[in-house]
Amino acid sequence: MMDEAALEAELFAVGSRLARDMPVQRNPLKAFDDKAMDLASQDAELKAALFRFVDVVPACRSLEDLSRHLVGFLREVETPPPPISVAMRMGNTKAGRTALGAAAATGVRHMAHRFIVGESPKAALGVLRELWKDGVASSVDLLGEATVTQDEAQRYADRCAEALDTLADAAQRWPARPQLERDSAGALPRANLSVKVSALTPLLRPDAPERGQRDAADRLRPLLRQARERGAHLHIDMESMDSRDAVLELVLDLLAEDEFRAGPSAGMVLQAYLRDSPQSLDTIVDWLRRHERAHPLTVRLVKGAYWDHELVEARQHGWPSPVFEHKADTDRNFEQLTRRLIDARSSGAALRVAIASHNLRSVAHAVAYNRLSGGRDEDLELQVLRGLGDPLQAAIARQDLRVRAYCPVGDLVAGMAYLVRRLLENTSNDSFLAAQANGVAVAELLAPPQVPA
Amino acid sequence: MISPFQNEPILELRRPAVRAGLGDALAALDSRGPVRVPVWIGDERREGDELPSTDPGRPDRVVALAASAGPEETEAALETASRAARGWAKTPAAERAAVLLRAAAWMRERRVELAALEVREAAKPWAEADADVCEAIDFLEYYARGAIELEERPAMLPGSALDQLIQPPGERNTLRWAARGVVAVISPWNFPIAIPCGMTAAGLATGNAVVLKPAEQAPGCGYAIAQALHAGGLPSGVLSLLPGEGDVGAALVEDRRVHVIAFTGSGPVGLGIIRAAAELAPGQKHLKRVVAEMGGKNCVIVDSDADLDEVVPGLVRSAFTYAGQKCSAASRVLAHEAIHDALVQRLSGAIEVLEVGQASDLAIDVPPVIEREAAERVARYAALAEREGRVAARARSVPDGGWFATPSLATDLPESSAVLGEEIFGPLLALERVRDVDDACDRVDASPFALTGGLFCRNPDTVDRVVERSPVGNLYVNRYITGAMVARQPFGGNRLSGTGTKAGGPGYLLHFVEPRVVTENTMRHGLVV
Repeated sequence: MMDEAALEAELFAVGSRLARDMPVQRNPLKAFDDKAMDLASQDAELKAALFRFVDVVPACRSLEDLSRHLVGFLREVETPPPPISVAMRMGNTKAGRTALGAAAATGVRHMAHRFIVGESPKAALGVLRELWKDGVASSVDLLGEATVTQDEAQRYADRCAEALDTLADAAQRWPARPQLERDSAGALPRANLSVKVSALTPLLRPDAPERGQRDAADRLRPLLRQARERGAHLHIDMESMDSRDAVLELVLDLLAEDEFRAGPSAGMVLQAYLRDSPQSLDTIVDWLRRHERAHPLTVRLVKGAYWDHELVEARQHGWPSPVFEHKADTDRNFEQLTRRLIDARSSGAALRVAIASHNLRSVAHAVAYNRLSGGRDEDLELQVLRGLGDPLQAAIARQDLRVRAYCPVGDLVAGMAYLVRRLLENTSNDSFLAAQANGVAVAELLAPPQVPA
Repeated sequence: MISPFQNEPILELRRPAVRAGLGDALAALDSRGPVRVPVWIGDERREGDELPSTDPGRPDRVVALAASAGPEETEAALETASRAARGWAKTPAAERAAVLLRAAAWMRERRVELAALEVREAAKPWAEADADVCEAIDFLEYYARGAIELEERPAMLPGSALDQLIQPPGERNTLRWAARGVVAVISPWNFPIAIPCGMTAAGLATGNAVVLKPAEQAPGCGYAIAQALHAGGLPSGVLSLLPGEGDVGAALVEDRRVHVIAFTGSGPVGLGIIRAAAELAPGQKHLKRVVAEMGGKNCVIVDSDADLDEVVPGLVRSAFTYAGQKCSAASRVLAHEAIHDALVQRLSGAIEVLEVGQASDLAIDVPPVIEREAAERVARYAALAEREGRVAARARSVPDGGWFATPSLATDLPESSAVLGEEIFGPLLALERVRDVDDACDRVDASPFALTGGLFCRNPDTVDRVVERSPVGNLYVNRYITGAMVARQPFGGNRLSGTGTKAGGPGYLLHFVEPRVVTENTMRHGLVV
């Protein structure tokens, strides 16, 4: 049994050191040079207007079209703050609209560049190399439009294949960073790509996943082979509940195939906001017991990025919500799953644990629990999102812990859905980042999650 | 006290455990052999096999064997209904409602079993069949509550300027809504339980007797409704079931004892009913009321700023689910020229991968159409589209054996093409290039139909403009255009698409009742008594 008081003490020590080591200049909220995000966090209507605008930017045909949309959205804000009124007045003339459109487009592009590291893997290499030199590993995620045709699925698979080559080639020339490339289970690939099953097939249906699974498997197998040949890591992302079971089953089935016993290094995702995530972990642990592979399976524990979507969908259908409704329940479940993952690894499961959170407590908890249960720091990976977790990532690196940044790559059109999700996360009332940005004391940030009565 | 209305939740089929039970329900249905559907009048049930209904996906499989009502039976049903109507009208609304609620409970206990029947008899895919059964339950629950409201708060209606009649001293004014008498329900096969159940429930809730003539393609489903209501405790004779073909419906429409005709079906049949209902039969002392839901030619406008990631799945769902055989299904896409080519390309790719197959197979996207004639009709229009324009995409694999039609996308058609003007009622979607949203609105406005419509657009001003100009009964913005739900999307069309009535919405019950106002002088010799 873990001594909870000792754990809280260690957690507090780890968390305080991380807080101390965060670069003060790069507070993520203040970093948005337009004050839009600050405003949006305080005003739900403004937030809606801003998101709708960000969302439509790539579909606009001209600066004037862009500003017409902006003004249209802003008109629905009941009490516009002064900067918004100025924008609205600019919308009254053609010259004003062009100027407003140009300013807004620049703002959105700037915002996008915080979260998206480049338009292509090649263009992202500079950033990835800098990260690596600073003690930060990466996982590249290729943003794209939804896949509705076979051509689109194949195009995405081709882009993934090309990315694997580009990353593997470039990573060879990166300098040695021992804490990023080895843990007690062995070498860790430098090149790391995250892929989405829904992008690999147009056939994935929530009610009948088999056809989509087969189709996606046909495109995943070549990618797995290539990752093995190039010594890269392939990570399969989780998306919404509609495909959760299908993806879980698909990944475990594929990795159990004979040809993949020797590799590649691969991983999957566990979403702590799902009420039944403990059962998914059971499935994974049980699978690990029955299958032997050359590489441990990496499990990235996240809270989950589709919370609003899941809740709305369940409400519209009259279904019980698959996600916890209180953030604190998710946080608590996250800690429980963290412990179970670390315990499973400690008791011999071929598992690599990756804790992906920007919540200081969640991160400190994982580090402290790992240490107190006898694990080594090198056997725990921490992950952050590019653009959101930059200060935390710097602090983690400074503590000689392993950190990996999830780095989306793609053009503005493809990136908007991703960007909106990130912004939503960042402006939510429950957001840890918002709390941190608003100067909440470290002790409070490190307090155990409390579910409101 | 009855709880507030809530929609019956559809099955969460994305969960494997929920899917697991479906096959057993189907096997159980198959093992019982064909459903025997009687002509059912009062306590008399006559079975027969004059009217077999078959599985559209495997036409040699008989799903139900129905008796077909003869002229004497139609006569007997109407006589029985006329008699039973009097007592039923006097039954308090709460008691009538209780019958409906018990019928809903009966269906709720048999949801998967009833859905399985739809899968076989109407080739409704599981998700659609389940939603149909849920909708039937919703109608029972919704109209039960509505009828109580009508009795308790007769002046509180949409459009009322006041919530009650003005009562000056010495005068007592009362308004009540009386049942009209006998309702003839003539129903379609495409929502084989929900639509007849809704029309029947509305008639019964308001105190009318009902004679139900289910579609000849789906008598088994119609029978389920009668069973539910009888199990719910409906007095004998208040509901009669008359399976049969067009002649039965025609006889009902023309009869002097019928007060309301509730019809959902094709335009020509609907117009015929409206015409016939206007004729006075010998001895008829009332005007007949017709509630008709008819055809559509539903358009979806796609503006230049639409997100094609959403548009393509939305269109595929609107046009091809249940093989395009919903009254609400999309049949025309009006695409802004700026995104036209990209949309055609992506939509084509999405249509090519559609899986056509048996309704019972969860993995299919498109089931067979209802009957041979329907498959031939779709093929005829597809051939016409090929002659007059271009068939840009076809589903790659279409099985043999059942009444399968090929999901297709037609483009480059002349504006005069019948493919753009006529209701096809099958999996053929036409796409046109428009200059802008106003051009699209002009084309929508030129159509005699106005049932459903769609708009994909993210500019709020444009959305407002289209909403303003759109004549349709149900307009969907930035989503698929099918799947109206009771109390959420009151459903029904305008222009030649119907009488403008809204099933599952406020005011629907008013078509089944007549208002009666009583004014009593309460003053006598200067004293208010």
